[in-house]
Amino acid sequence: MRLSDASVVIRPRTAWEAMDLGVLMAREHRLLLMSSWALVTLPVFAALTALLWKYPSTAIFLFWWLKPAFDRLPLYILSKALFGETPSIKQAVRQWPRLLKGQLLASLTWRRLSLSRSFVMPVSQLEGLDGPARQKRLGVLQQRNAGAARWLTTIGVHLEIGLWFGCMTLFYLFIPQNLESDWDWQRLILATSSEGLWLEHLSNAFYAVILVFWEPIYVACGFSLYLNRRTVLEAWDLELVFRRLRQRLSNVVPLLLLMMGLSLLPFSPPAMAESSPSQKPLATQDASQSIKSLMEKPPFKNPETVTRYRFGEDKPPVKNKAHRDGKLPDWLKALLDNLNSNTFKHIAQGLEVLLWGLIVGALITLVWRYREWLRTFVSRRRLRKPQDLKVAPAQLFGLELGLETLPDDIASAAEHLWPTQPREALGLLYRGLLSRLLHDFNMPLKSADTEGQILERVNQLQQPQLLAFSDDLTRHWQNLAYGHRLPPPSVQQQLCSDWRTLFSRGSNP
Amino acid sequence: MPSAPLDTRYQIETPEGIELPLRPAGLTSRVLAFAFDLGVRAVVMGVLLVPLAMLGNVGIGLGSLLLFLISWWYMVLFEVLNQGCSPGKQVMGLRVVHDDGTPIGWSASLIRNLLRFVDMLPFGYFLGAISCLQHPHFKRLGDLAAGTLVIYREQPLLRPQIPQATALRLPFALDLSEQRAILGFAERQGELSTERVHELASILATPLHVSPARAVEQLNGVARGLLGPT
Repeated sequence: MRLSDASVVIRPRTAWEAMDLGVLMAREHRLLLMSSWALVTLPVFAALTALLWKYPSTAIFLFWWLKPAFDRLPLYILSKALFGETPSIKQAVRQWPRLLKGQLLASLTWRRLSLSRSFVMPVSQLEGLDGPARQKRLGVLQQRNAGAARWLTTIGVHLEIGLWFGCMTLFYLFIPQNLESDWDWQRLILATSSEGLWLEHLSNAFYAVILVFWEPIYVACGFSLYLNRRTVLEAWDLELVFRRLRQRLSNVVPLLLLMMGLSLLPFSPPAMAESSPSQKPLATQDASQSIKSLMEKPPFKNPETVTRYRFGEDKPPVKNKAHRDGKLPDWLKALLDNLNSNTFKHIAQGLEVLLWGLIVGALITLVWRYREWLRTFVSRRRLRKPQDLKVAPAQLFGLELGLETLPDDIASAAEHLWPTQPREALGLLYRGLLSRLLHDFNMPLKSADTEGQILERVNQLQQPQLLAFSDDLTRHWQNLAYGHRLPPPSVQQQLCSDWRTLFSRGSNP
Repeated sequence: MPSAPLDTRYQIETPEGIELPLRPAGLTSRVLAFAFDLGVRAVVMGVLLVPLAMLGNVGIGLGSLLLFLISWWYMVLFEVLNQGCSPGKQVMGLRVVHDDGTPIGWSASLIRNLLRFVDMLPFGYFLGAISCLQHPHFKRLGDLAAGTLVIYREQPLLRPQIPQATALRLPFALDLSEQRAILGFAERQGELSTERVHELASILATPLHVSPARAVEQLNGVARGLLGPT
């Protein structure tokens, strides 16, 4: 056995991965495994069937019982193929009688029902161990992976049954319809007459065919589990790399010495400016030609043919369904009748209302969620409304702006106040201005606006007279409010007269 | 003998030129994962259907809705929302991904689970099992159609114990696989028999210029040196 010849990558795997490797090994040699298996088992099966024609169940049971004897052939092939000595079919089948010699009785009697059969088979067949030595070996091997081997057999049983039934169903589906109508499946199964016998033998044959496919895979999975266990136990992968490393080093060391010797000799490294071998100049035409041909090739251009299904003209026949409807089974009828009954109707209506309610609710939620968006992009009518609704502030800088808080004739009131309470007088004028701006000019003033911002807005109104007056008044108001500097009396008079000329339209609207 | 040795790994190359080895999962572990999922679904159905059966016809209606949800959406919802793991796959350490290793999306998961019904034809996953055993990456028909792959999840590793030794440096360079092998030798000494450890180490005794008896210690020292200060 030379590990370096192994045809699989040797490294420790999990138990499941090891079995997957077995599936791959079986796939690699599928033809050989299946044909050799068929060559060995199918004649035995035929002989059993012929001998026990009256007892098909016994025949298939015996055939199933003999599986460990057949399993030795795929194991032999796989163990040879692992190290690259794949035998031909003829060689393999010729080997089979020789393979049967060791421990056949044990494997066909007390070891037959062992669930880890595939895992331990290599110990007796490939290592040739028997008795206490085998037991000891198994004790070591089965510390791990034995559970997976049991699962493998359990799954195998179910898979065989599934595939077997699948084959029978497939067979049943392929029976022409006019033949099928004459058959009563149950009667055939229960029949003990010769008519039923061949059917049972047929299903036995299906089992034999299933085994041709599955059993080599089963053996391969068990074998790869065994290999994996030994890889872990004996660190085969490390041995492989170590041997390769030794090989490499034994080649390299003399070379290294030689190199060191050579490096002592003076030699000139190739210089960058050394004349390189002159390249043949490319003609532009040739170059463009070759570029073009390169650009047509895969990495640059990937032509692809796309084939799609299109709807044909002919409609599938609908008749078939109506034909089926005529003979509904009773239980389905009863179920449908129940569904039509009144009790269900009420609850169904309730459910319907609930579902519609859900839809309506979802729609409302959707509209509510996007109400801003809808307002902006869908409804034109509501576009101006939010501005109209804006509430005019009742106060600015602590000054009351309500119309009712101001006197009717602001200018005269201010003139009265000038001598005694100049601060109140100027305040009244400024309040009056703000109030006018707010209510007559519909200026969107906010309580957060400063005097400067209000002036800017007045500027936007494009009324130079109003702007000049506002500017003047604001300046004097700011001087008084924050600087405690009274405007001179001439200015006081000026402001009052300006007010009159500006708002001479009279009193409040 | 095939040119490339058989392996269960599936290499994909990312656009950045990085090789990602995935480990496709074969029939056995997937069967067990499916059986677990089937059991979970059966238990859930059993628990929910008993009270529904008492409701009479409404119960039948709701039960059919439940049956629909569980049989068609159980796998899809778990696979898409739980990083490609249904509960069974979680238990078996499996995961579904796209062929290029990216997480599975709605369309792929829906396709691969709807096509279960093709895999089941004509009885009990007949086609699915055959396809799974024949495909090099163990895909059933649904996987082929959806472009998905069932792989083993990467399990968190335990920090391996390395025997104490004085760190050494070798006078020649080791490539990656050789470094790994020497580290693996140090890490797996506990699992191997003493005789086997000496046998393995003596392979390298000559190139290391030590006597076979001292080779194990030498290799452990090299492993320490490779590991660097810890």
